[in-house]
Amino acid sequence: MIINFKINGKETLINLTKNKRLIDLLRDDLKLTGTKEGCSIGECGACTVIVNGKAVNSCLVLAQQVDECDVITVEGLAEGNKLSELQQNFLKYGAIQCGFCTPGMLMSAYALFLENPTPSREEIETAIEGNLCRCTGYKPIIQAITSTVSGE
Amino acid sequence: MIPQFKYYRPKSINELKSILGDMQDNSRILAGGTDIVPGFIQQSSRFTSITNLIDINCIADLKAIKNVDGQVLIGSAITFAEIMKNELIQTHFPLLTKAASTVGSIQIRNRATVVGNFVNNAPCADSVPPLLVYDASIKIISPNGERNIPLNEFLLNPYETQLKKNECVTEIIIPAPKENFIGDFYKLGRRSAVSISRISLAFLMHEENKFIKEFKIASGAITPIGKRFYEIENAFVGKEISSETFMEIASTLGEKVLETTGLRWSTDYKLPVVQQMLYQLLERNVGGISG
Amino acid sequence: MDNSFNIVGKAVIRQDALEKVTGRAKFADDINEPGQLYGVMVRVPTVHATIDEIDYSELLRVKPDSIIVDSTDIKGSKKIGAIRQDQPIFSFDKIVTPGDVIAMLVGESEDELKSLSKKVKIKFTELPALTDPTRSLEPNAPKIHPQYESNLIVHYPLRKGDVEKGFKESDFIHEETYTTQLVEHAYIEPETVLAIPLEGNKGIKIIGSIQNPFTARKVVASVLNWPLTKVRIVQAELGGSFGGKDDTMNILSARAAVAALKIGKPIKIHYSREESILESYKRHPYILKYKVGCMKNGKIIAMKIDILADGGAYSSMSPFVTWRSVVQATGPYDIENVWTDVRAVYTNNPYTGAMRGFGSPQPIFAQESIMDEIAIKLNLTPDEFRRINGFKAGSFTASGQKLENHDVNLLDVLDTAIKETNFTSKWKEYKSKTSFNGYQLDKISDTNAEQLILKKKDYINPNKLLWKGIGLSISYRGCSLGAEGIDAAEAYLSVQNDGSAYLLSGLAENGQGMRTTHSIIAAEVLGISPDKIYYLETDTGLIPDSGPTVASRSTLMGGGAVKAASDILRNRFEDFLRLEWKLKSQSEFIFKDGFVSVNGNPQQKISFSDLCSLAYKNGICLAAIGWYKSPEVNWDEHTGQGSAYFTYVYGCQVAEVTVNIGTGQVYIDKITAVHNPGKVINLLGAEGQVYGGVTQGAGYGLWEQVTTDGGKIRELNFDQYLIPTAKDLKEIKPVFVEGKDVYGAWGGKSLGEPTLELTSAAIANAIRNATGKRFYNLPINLEELLLRRKLFPKDLKRGSS
Repeated sequence: MIINFKINGKETLINLTKNKRLIDLLRDDLKLTGTKEGCSIGECGACTVIVNGKAVNSCLVLAQQVDECDVITVEGLAEGNKLSELQQNFLKYGAIQCGFCTPGMLMSAYALFLENPTPSREEIETAIEGNLCRCTGYKPIIQAITSTVSGE
Repeated sequence: MIPQFKYYRPKSINELKSILGDMQDNSRILAGGTDIVPGFIQQSSRFTSITNLIDINCIADLKAIKNVDGQVLIGSAITFAEIMKNELIQTHFPLLTKAASTVGSIQIRNRATVVGNFVNNAPCADSVPPLLVYDASIKIISPNGERNIPLNEFLLNPYETQLKKNECVTEIIIPAPKENFIGDFYKLGRRSAVSISRISLAFLMHEENKFIKEFKIASGAITPIGKRFYEIENAFVGKEISSETFMEIASTLGEKVLETTGLRWSTDYKLPVVQQMLYQLLERNVGGISG
Repeated sequence: MDNSFNIVGKAVIRQDALEKVTGRAKFADDINEPGQLYGVMVRVPTVHATIDEIDYSELLRVKPDSIIVDSTDIKGSKKIGAIRQDQPIFSFDKIVTPGDVIAMLVGESEDELKSLSKKVKIKFTELPALTDPTRSLEPNAPKIHPQYESNLIVHYPLRKGDVEKGFKESDFIHEETYTTQLVEHAYIEPETVLAIPLEGNKGIKIIGSIQNPFTARKVVASVLNWPLTKVRIVQAELGGSFGGKDDTMNILSARAAVAALKIGKPIKIHYSREESILESYKRHPYILKYKVGCMKNGKIIAMKIDILADGGAYSSMSPFVTWRSVVQATGPYDIENVWTDVRAVYTNNPYTGAMRGFGSPQPIFAQESIMDEIAIKLNLTPDEFRRINGFKAGSFTASGQKLENHDVNLLDVLDTAIKETNFTSKWKEYKSKTSFNGYQLDKISDTNAEQLILKKKDYINPNKLLWKGIGLSISYRGCSLGAEGIDAAEAYLSVQNDGSAYLLSGLAENGQGMRTTHSIIAAEVLGISPDKIYYLETDTGLIPDSGPTVASRSTLMGGGAVKAASDILRNRFEDFLRLEWKLKSQSEFIFKDGFVSVNGNPQQKISFSDLCSLAYKNGICLAAIGWYKSPEVNWDEHTGQGSAYFTYVYGCQVAEVTVNIGTGQVYIDKITAVHNPGKVINLLGAEGQVYGGVTQGAGYGLWEQVTTDGGKIRELNFDQYLIPTAKDLKEIKPVFVEGKDVYGAWGGKSLGEPTLELTSAAIANAIRNATGKRFYNLPINLEELLLRRKLFPKDLKRGSS
């Protein structure tokens, strides 16, 4: 089956020779290894990407299902070498330690902003409830997202 | 390991029907995929033998929430996120909105469908108690026709329903809401987010002049399958609204759950708690006590 | 240098942040080598058995060219271990726990290998499983490792004063028993390793999610029977470790290396979450018995402690973990008479080893719970009681060590926490007037099931469903390895002639932010921006063995080494400038903001980059190696007396909770964490340690538990093993009370582990304050709170409740 989709703004054609998940398509075929696999059952959120504006676990989506979709991964967040404000705030507020959950966290936060540019703290917490982080205790991450809202 | 199934993506219900007609065994409907895809990876015996997978996400009719003569029709490709955001449902079926908001995480709610939640009849399906108290039924199609069936009849045993092979659930039908109902959905998980239900229940009550005029109650994760308790409902219609009545309702639920479920590993915890929390729920929603 | 720092103590952005927010950081599974094959494990579904025969005939019939690697391929050590070599790379004689691996199949497709692994037929004879550690030392208990006399891994006694005399003189005696559970590190990145055979005689290169590259190298070299130099370990970006990517990764490295050399191709092993939880080691469950003798005036005069640690199937780090327990078991209290026994034993349970906290969270939970109970008995507030007994400068620890040469600021830390949280008035206000009983049920069976139906009196007034509580806990913690072993570290600093610099220490970046901390230290000494420092990749071929990155020692020991290297270079620059500028030998310099100037004559200055260029042209060596060795410590194995650690840190955490007495849910409203880490080097990193450690500690207190059913783990993924989410802790407030110390870089000591060790005890005390009830068994989950026991399912499916 041939699938045709947009990945980080770029039209892409892939000839799927076997059934696979979206995460495998991204990591193995497209070498977009920013998307991480932590649990393979949709519990940790490390593999979060955006499909048609919505955050999804790429370990729960079949590659066929993104045919004609718009997919954004962590590699698509910065414009060239210029980090987005969200990424900059992750740096500034110490929202990163080991960094393994970071791509998924960023994608969940990015998806939140696509839908709601001025989320409340509770909405921010809900947006990342499906992203497990074992290092940061979440507080600096919430701070980074909050500051992106307020433009601090 | 993802099996090398054949992948179908019908664009219309007619196309779906014709694919269903051609199907042999080992065909599955794919909607959200949040059970099936990890099931492949974990080599779950429920999924590894699938040879045909029919993705229903591109059928516009199944991707809609419609209001037809006061009835609300929810397509079987509608996700929990779509339920949560739907104003019609927020206004008329708030228990369903609330239940939807407690399912998994945003990533799960963006994919998982309400029908997919109960079509496997897992006991912890959070959508079931609200749908049961709203007297939902479902529409099932097959190559030869279609049938409607009340949800409580559709659910047979844990992981067993009335769905036959070559059939597909296409819609949830919720009858026009009655006014004056007060109700709530309750879910208890082990942590504050992304929890599997330990306990879930829903109730609706119509109160008139401090008496119970109508009452509906359904359980989720405390019974082997989601279940309405018609006996309790009938027994308490006409009773006066009071803390005493609420306690009696709660203890009666306890007795009925024990009767249905028997003693399981979790009963020592769940049974007292479900009674306590139903009581709290009734006091808070009907008894007028804030908190 | 005085205390006016340019960079130290400020919030500095991580050096590796850019690659981590753009998805470019390379974790082990992001690295692939052309032609690599995969390794898939073969296990046996049993808990305890002797292996009679491993039969590959069916596998070879199905796939005649199968590549099999097992213990027969190992030329060197077949079993490894830090103290006892009891853990096989591939099991060949016995199965002692379900994570054990018999063989590894190698090939191109992991999917195919997984189905082929079922074709290996292992004949085994089941042995009785030993899963209860309290039975391990019984004479007829099954022996886990027959080569040892008993299932005792280690026994540490500590004897100070005369404990029986102390009890006799006490006004009252308080005795309690506590238990803690098995928990998983739950780093989000599962284990991955890639072994690449190098050309000719160059040996092998291993890239992996490895916490301790030097330990991995030692293990691989001993398994291959090779010199250390031929094994190069390169650490990939590490996706969390918390003590957990040590033994497991060393063994995976060895398996990959053996396979890679057998077939001459790169081998990758990467674990699923299930395999990770199945095979990796965990935190020790403890059973802790405390007997405390106390005077009416609140002075504790005797304490007897008996601790049993479940080491599981292999000794691993048990001898080190339990040693920290014996040192710190009394808590930070000056007690004249102490008698402690700590034992670790073998069972068939998952093996236990290093995990952030390392033998301290368990005794702190017990000892701090008991302190509150005694305080309540004496009608004192928790802080009053702790002030009477808590360490002050010059106090003596249980091992007879006098606390001196550093700020013994435990009581400052405590007072700060009390003020910060308005503790005392809240504690008195919340202190439960009516005691909460939960659902006091007998063991329910069909004959008394009606007990489960609530009576009117059981229904809770809806306004009284939620009860608030506040609780605190305090600790002291020995920094670095202490008398566990040799404690020294190296750093290499190489300044370039444009003023930029390479830095590398022999410790490892495990996500905690060490590279940034070390860069700050070098930058501070040289008066340049940390941006000018390029931290090199951790590679065992480039830097001497500096011991493992454990025991919260990377800032203290690694930082000390970086400072030493930086000081060497700075002194060299200063000598050069004195000559160049013809200054007096006693003239001093200021290194600041990229310039070097003469102290007292700011006009005489040069930019750091020009200085480097000039020095380089004059043949000055711009590279230096710094070495930092800990001061002497000592320990008597028989009496448990000695100066266990050369310095200590102190902490106090306060938990504010709301308890739902209808459901047993505990909501964490706020944790205030007051710590003395010595000197804070990077404020952003330090606060990050607190947020993360507290959150892990809360998970330990309330939710997390790995349980076994007949020795087999129930919680193999994150649907059942519940770690805290973004919604589970409302507020965490870090507060630092810095102390002066002569060690490390400007007295920058330890923080990573203290942040975790206190939280569960503070929460337990807050629950006690709210409910009037003491809980003795972690985690204090829904069932524990309402029923005082745990309930476990017979059969767990994904998605079941």
